Parts: sequence; structure tokens; C-alpha cells
Amino acid sequence: MKGLVFDIQRCSVHDGPGIRTTVFFKGCNLRCLWCHNPESVNPFPELQKYPDKCIGCGQCIKACKYEAVGNRQKCINCVECAEACFSRARILAGKYMELEEVLEIAERDKSFYMESKGGVTFSGGEPLLQKDFLREILKESKHGGLHTAVDTAGNVPWESIEEILPYTDLFLYDLKVMDESKHKEATGVSNKRILKNLKELGNRTTEIIIRIPVIPGINNSLKNMEETLDFIKDLKSIKSVELLPFHKLGESKYESLGIEYPAKDFRLLEKGEIEKLGIVFSGLHL
Amino acid sequence: MLTFETRLDKIRETKIKQTEEKIKRFGRTLDNDDKGIISPPEDFKFTPKSNHENGGFYGAKVCGDNFRELLECHPIYIDPMSSLAGGWMTMLGYYRNNPWKPEFSFTHLSEEIKKYNLVTGIGANHHFCADLTIGLKLGWKGILEKIQYYREKNDASHGEFYDALETIVLGIQNITKRHANEAKKLAELEEDPEIKRSLERMFEVNNSLVNEPPKTFYEACQWLAWFIILGDMYNGCSDAIGPIDQYLKPFYDRDKKAGILREDEAIFHLACLLVKNNSYYQIGGADKDGKDMTNEISFFMLEAAHRLKIPTSICVRVHDRLNPELLHLAVQYLFQDKKGTPNFLGDKATTQGFMNNGYSRELAVTRYKCGCHWCAIPGREYTLNDCVKINFVAVFQVALGEMMKDASVIPSYEELWHRFEKHLKRAVEVIAEAIDFHLEHMHEVFPELVADLFCHGTIEKGLDATNGGVEFYNMCVDGSGLAIVADSFAAIEQRIVREKRLSWKELMMHLDNDYKGAEYIRLMLRNIPRYGSGGSLADENAKLIINIFNKLVKEKRTPNGFNMIPGIFSWANTIPMGEAVGATPNGRHAYAPISHGANPDPGFKESGVLTSMAAAVASVQCNYGNAVPIQLEVDPILGKDNGGIENMEAFIKTYCNDMGGTLMNLNILDKKQILEAHKDPSKYPDLIVRVTGFSAYFAALSEKFRQLVVDRIIEG
Repeated sequence: MKGLVFDIQRCSVHDGPGIRTTVFFKGCNLRCLWCHNPESVNPFPELQKYPDKCIGCGQCIKACKYEAVGNRQKCINCVECAEACFSRARILAGKYMELEEVLEIAERDKSFYMESKGGVTFSGGEPLLQKDFLREILKESKHGGLHTAVDTAGNVPWESIEEILPYTDLFLYDLKVMDESKHKEATGVSNKRILKNLKELGNRTTEIIIRIPVIPGINNSLKNMEETLDFIKDLKSIKSVELLPFHKLGESKYESLGIEYPAKDFRLLEKGEIEKLGIVFSGLHL
Repeated sequence: MLTFETRLDKIRETKIKQTEEKIKRFGRTLDNDDKGIISPPEDFKFTPKSNHENGGFYGAKVCGDNFRELLECHPIYIDPMSSLAGGWMTMLGYYRNNPWKPEFSFTHLSEEIKKYNLVTGIGANHHFCADLTIGLKLGWKGILEKIQYYREKNDASHGEFYDALETIVLGIQNITKRHANEAKKLAELEEDPEIKRSLERMFEVNNSLVNEPPKTFYEACQWLAWFIILGDMYNGCSDAIGPIDQYLKPFYDRDKKAGILREDEAIFHLACLLVKNNSYYQIGGADKDGKDMTNEISFFMLEAAHRLKIPTSICVRVHDRLNPELLHLAVQYLFQDKKGTPNFLGDKATTQGFMNNGYSRELAVTRYKCGCHWCAIPGREYTLNDCVKINFVAVFQVALGEMMKDASVIPSYEELWHRFEKHLKRAVEVIAEAIDFHLEHMHEVFPELVADLFCHGTIEKGLDATNGGVEFYNMCVDGSGLAIVADSFAAIEQRIVREKRLSWKELMMHLDNDYKGAEYIRLMLRNIPRYGSGGSLADENAKLIINIFNKLVKEKRTPNGFNMIPGIFSWANTIPMGEAVGATPNGRHAYAPISHGANPDPGFKESGVLTSMAAAVASVQCNYGNAVPIQLEVDPILGKDNGGIENMEAFIKTYCNDMGGTLMNLNILDKKQILEAHKDPSKYPDLIVRVTGFSAYFAALSEKFRQLVVDRIIEG
């Protein structure tokens, strides 16, 4: 069984407890304006270009059957040019990988997980859009004694979540904006299903960490945080809330994909802003 | 009012000023341990006596006389802010302009030494460890009496050796006395009551130490300071200290019981000791029963380095039962101070590894960490650790060149491996002969007179440590450039053999031209799954190289019967060793530095570098007790996050306790700051980096050396 993966990051310490390996699935059904992984959005392998690395060897032109080098419209993302490019001016985002191959990499750091109480995290994109692959790899990971976490935005049918429940130790559940119209504006979709799924999930036994990307002008208001608190406060399986500050580290990736960066004019957070918003959740009985 | 804290601030300021002065005088070329050396006054002059027509000096007698002379004329140094007298400004070793006695010729080895770019260790000194309990127990007068006692017992042929030892002890007593008197004089002139009292105590302590062994913790620290200064003034043998927490524990207990020592005073003395030289100290570790040896001094050492914030080299010996609070404090200070200290030794792998030479666990646990990447049994073992190296890249280059010139064979991957092994075997044989040669003659060249005072057997037998004076001879043989060779083999296998993108002849042409006009080819060879990426051919190659190297080093002893121990070298020779070899099939340019220690080549992976590197280096351990170190550059942010320190503790414990890792060096460095400092080092006079086994002021390093550190950080 194969899954479309765009990165596997070992020694990840930001996606769940302890030292972890995070597997990033490609394909997402949200279009968050601030997304720092734009290469995660499309559910197919695609080309990223970094012209400053180009050495002018011309191998990409030789490799391309569609005369698409220098003409993106003609490009069908066959990525032959990336395979010929050793200067890494053209790289391939996304690769279909066998389950065993992904698992083998995830298991390499098993001894670090044991000591640090870490494990493997499946993130994205939206990993639940490849639910069969996700379910199977979660099953195998559990079988191999790994702690498992799934980082999801929750915008999937409940059945997809339910299917992976027996093999998931922890959900990293992203909540963006509580106001539905604002959510639509910022992510392209309604949050109704996301919230409904969270309500359902919150009353099961699998632990949940709520993750809120804090984006100036989108959701950095006390009101939004209070509404979030109001929604989650009675959900018994919520373990903690993490506020993730907005950053622009993904900007060059937009350029590499030939698309405009929607958050170009967003300001960065002010010092202390996160802490101030975090106070809202300090009284949450966890 | 001056407190210990404010005094340490002033000591640090003085230290930074002294470093700036050294840079001004000698340029940014201090690519070595900082060593605590102080610039001598401009008018300081010392001319050693020569006993050879070439102007050199050789043998125990003249070395002893010259050292005595140096001790007599060496300037007095007292920093009134410090509790410990003394500071070293020059070394007798620096005056060895003709270091090897020409009568002992090794021209029969020269050609092959050059061919394989070997560092043979012939003429190298110290790099083993004295047992300081001997000096702490006997004091200088006791040592003198011991020399006199054994002189009577042995025949007259040992007379010169005993004369030399005796003359240097007399010199040591004299320099101690001179400092005691100076402290007294300064005390009389001092107006600040706190410093006045401190100088009076300094006088009392040093006056007593002229003859008596140390009785208190303070006296023990001053005695150790003298050992450090004198060892450095002779040949640098006091870089190796070892288990400081075990050495000082009895003194601390006695003083504590007597109610005469507060914790902050003990920490202050240790900080003053750390200023004398960034010698190598071990804390923690397990005893023969696996019981943790951590004690109060272990914590005080971390605290002293934390308060002092200068380059230091403290190593935590990590094992299953290590006091978790010690590890936690060590990691906390590592991130908080960002001075590259402490580093971490894997007790299990080093102890078990040493036992694989046929030694008992009882003995193996006494082999302490006391050098930049090495361990030794204090006073009982001679090692030449760190001094003997084989440049794997040069050996590879010889093998490849020979195969391509041999018209009788068709070039192949298998043939190349065969020739690599053949030449590595010869390189090990040359090293073995060179070790014998060194051990045969070194005592007649530059004997280890200072360390000899603190060995079990040297005084007793009347023999220098290089000449049968100690019990064990376990001679270090380190390999270098592992990643370059592992990746080069892999690049050939993938691009030439499997994909046939390049012919052998074309490869040789590009290597000869240093890839001129062939950047695409260079990048093609470079862009293979490299050593460190995990599960790659290059990873397998690295293991194979280590297996071959281990087999060749361990299959027999040197011709004269000395045991050799394989390891991988960590230190700065990456630059000169790189300068000795041309372009390599892994896409490395001619004369560029070779890879560092057992680390993968920088840029081997874009993310998840830490665990990937740990897994890679753990898989290439030699397993005979000498280190195969890993050097990691870590973003400070890792320690800031919630649970970051705990994650790093888990990382270290896993590497040392579960994966068979021997030594881990960690740099906590901010990328932006290091780039700015590289551009203008003078803006960051107090920025400290762990270069490898040792830490140093970044500003004091040469540009080439700074570039190495920068590359590791930028490329991962």
C-alpha cells in the first residue's frame, strides 16, 4: 500500500510529546491563508523551483519532454526535470511511498522515543484524506510498540476519524477560528464539521491537544480564544491547548511553487501577545 | 564589597583581556585548546641549554635542567581576585625547535608516512594521564623522598633520570615558594580587607605546599593548580586531569566535617582552578559494581563552570544509574550558557569496549575521560591518545590511483575495496612500526618528567613512562575522514557501476581537474544518499570501513608486542589532512577539509539531523574503549521549548546507554550570531564554541577554522 508523503522529519520535538518522527502527508482540503507548508496542499507530486541554486547545466531542459522548462503552463508535474537536477534548483514535493518504507524510517528512532516518551506523528496536509493508508500505518506503528499521534484539522467525515481511533494515542487537533464566516474566509471551508467532530472526539478516551495557529487579523482576539475555551471546556479528553505563533518561514516555498503568498502583508505577533491570549486557557481544568 | 560572584566577574574580564592580548600578539591562529596560557612580558627571554650540534636538547638530564631553569625565570603571576596562585606563560616544549634527535632516524618509514598521510606519534608527548592522588597524598617533599628512596634501590644507570626528576621537584618547590612570598607582599600592600585576607590565605597555603601535602580542600585545589601550571610549562601533560570529583571528595568531606568550608567557597576555588587551563575533567561515572560515583564535587564543577563562563572541558560520564539531577543540571547549563560544556561520555560502551582488549571491569572503570576525545588509566597506562592518525582519504586515494594505473585489471568496485583494504593494512603496519620506534627512543629525546612524578612504576623502576615505566601500553590508532571515504565508495557504486552515468576514466579526469568545468558531475556525485541518511549504501560502507579498520588494528600487536586500540579522531587535523589530498569521488574539492570525527559530511540531510547522526555514528563505533565521537550543533530553541531540556536528556541517555555511543560533543549555537561573529570576530570576544573535544573563544580561531564551525551549523 502506498501513500503520498512530502516529508518525513526525524527528531521532531514540536508535534507531540518527546522526541518523534513526523510523517507529512500531502493533500489538504483547507486553504489556510497563512499555511507554511504550501507544498502540502495539492494531492499529487509537484515541482518546486529554487533558481538561485541553478548552475545552468541545462539538464532539466534535456529531461523535459513537454518543453515546459521556463513555461510553467506546459508543466504536467511529471518531475523528470527534478530528477535530473543535482543542484537541487528543482525538487520534487511529494512522493508515493510504500507503507513499509515509511514505517522503517519511523522505527529508526524507536530507542529515542522510549526514553523521551515520544513516538510517531502523522501530519500534513490532512492525513485523514488518505484514511486507508493512515489507518494501516497507525495499526502497524501500534503493533511495533510506537506511541502514535495524528495531527488533523478535522474536516473529514466522522467515520474516517472513528476508523483510526483504536490505533491513535493522541490527536493534535487544529482549531483556527470559531466564527464560521471568518473560518470560511480564512480557510476556504466552514468549521461546522470540524467542531462537530471535535465534540464527538472530545468525549472519547483518546487524548487531544488543541492547537491554535495564532494569526494576526484572523484569530488573535480574546473573543476568539474565549469562544474556543467555551467550546472545549467540557470535553473530557482534552489534555492541553497549544498556541502556535504565526511566522513567515514558508514564504520562499510559495515562490518555489510559482504561487502568490497570501499572508505576505500579515504582520508578525507582538512580543507578549501569545502569552496574553494564553491566559484565557489558564483556568481550563485539564 | 567583593563577593565570590564579583570576583569571578573580574577574573572572567581578565581572561577575556588576556585572550585579546594573545590574538593581538599572535594573530587569530589559536586553533587549539585555549589552555589558559597568559602572554609573557615583552622582555621575557629564555634560552634552553643545548646538548646537540643542531641546537636541540635531548634526554632526561638536559630536559630536567632546562625545565628547572625555566621554572626559575618564569614570571610570577598572581591575580588578587583569584584564590589560587600561579599562571603559565610559556612551555619548555615550545623551545624544541629540533624536536627529534637526528641520530634516531626513521627515514625508512618516511615515504609511506607521506603516502598515507600518517600522523605517527613519533616524538609526540603527553596524551596519557597522571595519577594525581599520588601528588595529593605525598606533596612535593614526599615525592622528593620517594625519588631518593628508589634511587637507592636501583642501579646507577638510572641516575640521570632520578637527577632530572629531583631537579624539577626542587624547581617546583622554589616557584611555589616565590609565589607564596609574592602573595605575602601583595597582602601587605592590599587595602581591601577581603582581598587582603584572601592573599594572606594564599600565602599560608602556598607556603605550606612547598613541602607538605595538601590537607584541606583549598590546599588541594591550589596543589592541582600547580600541577596544571607545571604540566603546561613542561609539555602540556596537565591537560589530562580525569576524575576530579573523586580526587577532591575526601578533602571536601574532611573540611565539611570540620565546618571550615562553605559550598560557595568550594565552588569558587574550583572556578579559580578552571581558569588555569581548560584541562579535561570527568564527573559522574560508575564504579566496578555499577554504582554511581556522582558526589557533591560533580555538581560543584558544573556550577563553577556555569558561574565562570569561559571555555572549560568537563565531561559527564553517563550510565544507567547516573544521578538524574546531575544530567539535568548538565543539560540545563549547556543550553543556558551556550559554552559547549559539558560533553557526555558513554560509560557502557567505553568500559565494555576497553574490556574487549582483555582487561577486567575493575580496571576498565578506572579508565577515566581525561582528554579531548579520550580516556586513560591515571598513572598506569601510556597511550599516545590523539597523536596517531591514519587519513582514510589518503589511503583511498592511493588505492584508486593504483587501480586505475594498473593495466592488468579492469577497474571495479570490488577491486577498489580490495586495494583500499590492502593499503589500509600497510598503513596500520607503518603506524605499528612507528609506535615501536617512538617507544624505543622517546625517553632519550623528551621524557615525560612531570607526568613521571605521578605514575605507578616510573619512580619505582627508574624508567620514563615512554620506556616501560608504567604498567599498560595501549596505543591509540585513530582513523580520519570516514564520511568522505564511505560517500566516495557509494558515489562510485551508484553513479558509475549501477547507473553508468560516468566511466571510471571520466571520474579520474574530473578528480584530476578538481571538477573544473564539471559542476554538474560534482553535484551528481554529491547527491547520493550519504552516510548518515540511514539505510543507504554509504551507511553500510562506513560500517564496513570500521570493520576493516578494527580487524587490521586488532589482528596483531606492534612488532614489539604493544596493544593498539582503534578509534576515530575528532580534532582539528581535518584542515591539514584535507590539504594533503586531492578531489574525491564524493564531490569534495581538492584540498578541502576532510570530514570531522565520525560525523557525516555536512549537508547529508536537511532535517532531523540529530537522531540521524546519532544513529549513524552509533553504528560505526570501534568497540575497544577509545572514542568514536559525535559532534552535534544544536539550535538553542530546542532547549527553550516546553520539555526541551528533558528531550535532550533523553537523547543523551539513549545515545550513551542504549545505542553504544562513546562520546557526544554538543554546541548550542545561534545561527545568526555565529554568522555575524564569523564576519567580525572582534564584536564577539566572549563567544565560545565547542570546536570538537575542546571549547575555544570563537574570536581566537583562524578564519579557516571558523569556517569549519560555520559550515557544520549551516549545512547540518
